[in-house]
Amino acid sequence: MFKFLKKYSAVIKMTWIQTLEYRANLYVGLFSILSGIFIEYLIWKQIFVARGTELIRGFTLNELVAFIFLSMIVGQLKSSWVTSIEMIDAIRSGGLNKYLIRPISFYTYHLMMFIGQNSLFYMAYFTLIAAFPFIFPGLAFTTNFQVFGFLAALFLAVYLSYNMYYIMVCISFWFHEVRALVIAYNIANIILSGQIIPLRFFPEMYLKIITFTPLPFLVDFPVSIATGQLPTDMWASKFFLGFCWCLITWGIGKTLYYFGIKQYGGYGA
Amino acid sequence: MVRRYLNLWGSFFANSLTRDMEYKANLIGGIIVDIIFYSVQYFFFSIIYSYVDTLGSFTREDVMVFLIITFISDTVYMFLFSGNLFPLNRLVVQGDLDFMLLKPINSQFLVSFRYVKSYAIFSLVILVLMLLRQSSLHSADIGLMNYLYFSISFFCGLVIWYSLDFLIACLTFWFKNFTVGGWLSHELLKFSSRPDSIYTGITRKILFSLVPMALVSSVPARMLLYGLNVKLLMFQITISLSFVIMTFWVWKRGLLRYESASS
Repeated sequence: MFKFLKKYSAVIKMTWIQTLEYRANLYVGLFSILSGIFIEYLIWKQIFVARGTELIRGFTLNELVAFIFLSMIVGQLKSSWVTSIEMIDAIRSGGLNKYLIRPISFYTYHLMMFIGQNSLFYMAYFTLIAAFPFIFPGLAFTTNFQVFGFLAALFLAVYLSYNMYYIMVCISFWFHEVRALVIAYNIANIILSGQIIPLRFFPEMYLKIITFTPLPFLVDFPVSIATGQLPTDMWASKFFLGFCWCLITWGIGKTLYYFGIKQYGGYGA
Repeated sequence: MVRRYLNLWGSFFANSLTRDMEYKANLIGGIIVDIIFYSVQYFFFSIIYSYVDTLGSFTREDVMVFLIITFISDTVYMFLFSGNLFPLNRLVVQGDLDFMLLKPINSQFLVSFRYVKSYAIFSLVILVLMLLRQSSLHSADIGLMNYLYFSISFFCGLVIWYSLDFLIACLTFWFKNFTVGGWLSHELLKFSSRPDSIYTGITRKILFSLVPMALVSSVPARMLLYGLNVKLLMFQITISLSFVIMTFWVWKRGLLRYESASS
């Protein structure tokens, strides 16, 4: 276990150093979130004014903006599409060989790399989140319980999301060119996981379908905990369901890799 | 001169088409990504319009036209420029720009138009047909002249988008390894994918002048739906001209800083 931690913490450190060299990523990431929330604020402000109501689907304008703001942050932290494209390229070009001849796991190595690459974002966004009770007083993180619940749900969301990307990566053992699939999933995910519009604003029909998928656990679940939209007595069952999705997606990924590696030629596509 | 460059672009297109046809999975993948992107945008606005009838002056049917115009802008941009401006950073960092500069043609033209994403043609044809159908179903009287004003405005919008993206890509001459250029221009582009009627005050002024993203799709949509607005069209032409002139200047300044490989 100690060896495992030592080995993979080195990967995080290495990626962390690389990430620090490209700080512009952080500035653009922050710009992305702030400009995104600004546009959403303008749209929803007009809707609230046009309807002349204080509440839409149980949200005031401020509550909605706070919810979307947090959703965008979580959405960006859990997205590992860049790492996935690198993994797909490794399979296509034969770059996977270096993982096969070394005592490292392709899955864990890239998970750690993804965490390392996102480390700057984690720090910057956690600063934003720490400032949240002051920017939106009373709208999120009103209790310590919510803070810990959010962190646990965020961890679950990041891991689940990585597993979902990993499944797509493993498909490239059979269909070499699956980058388009990853990009399409990433684009669809922005809306379908509730990153720019809360899931409860969706039409009933879509909601019913989405409930049977892991999508609500990617963004809506952690943000609902942080903003108090999810009653505390439902946390345990939701965490259990989220954990089950993690296990299922992990299992699918492992199975696909097990069979996929037998298809792998090692010489590139 | 113009004919020579048109012929040259024709050769670029033929070459790109041959390359793209070799990788059919890429071609199909590109079309699938486009369809997903359009569906997501449509879904977003269908949710928004389930809570409100109008966003400023844009009704639901106006926004449908606006959305298709946004998609067409995006597709034409993909077709012409996306394969060129994004790799500019790599060309500068690795020194491959040398090969572009050695050719006996305008280097900015070569850097901007060398590769064509031919698969975008399929999406483009479908989108143009959709626009024609949607505008024929629209309650407003959309005449032939509207299409003419729209075409001029659309072209100006495209020039503005190209110029802005090009200027961002050129930052690589100053920041050495500006890998986030593509991401940054994508983030700026977000402002053009929402109707201009949501922007008010200082934001509106900025999006109509310094960062003129509102002129990319919203103004062409206005020309098509509501007819000619001389002041707005003249303003759009002036801004697009100013921006394109700025690209010539910045490109020249950037080249002066270029020191070949690993500069």
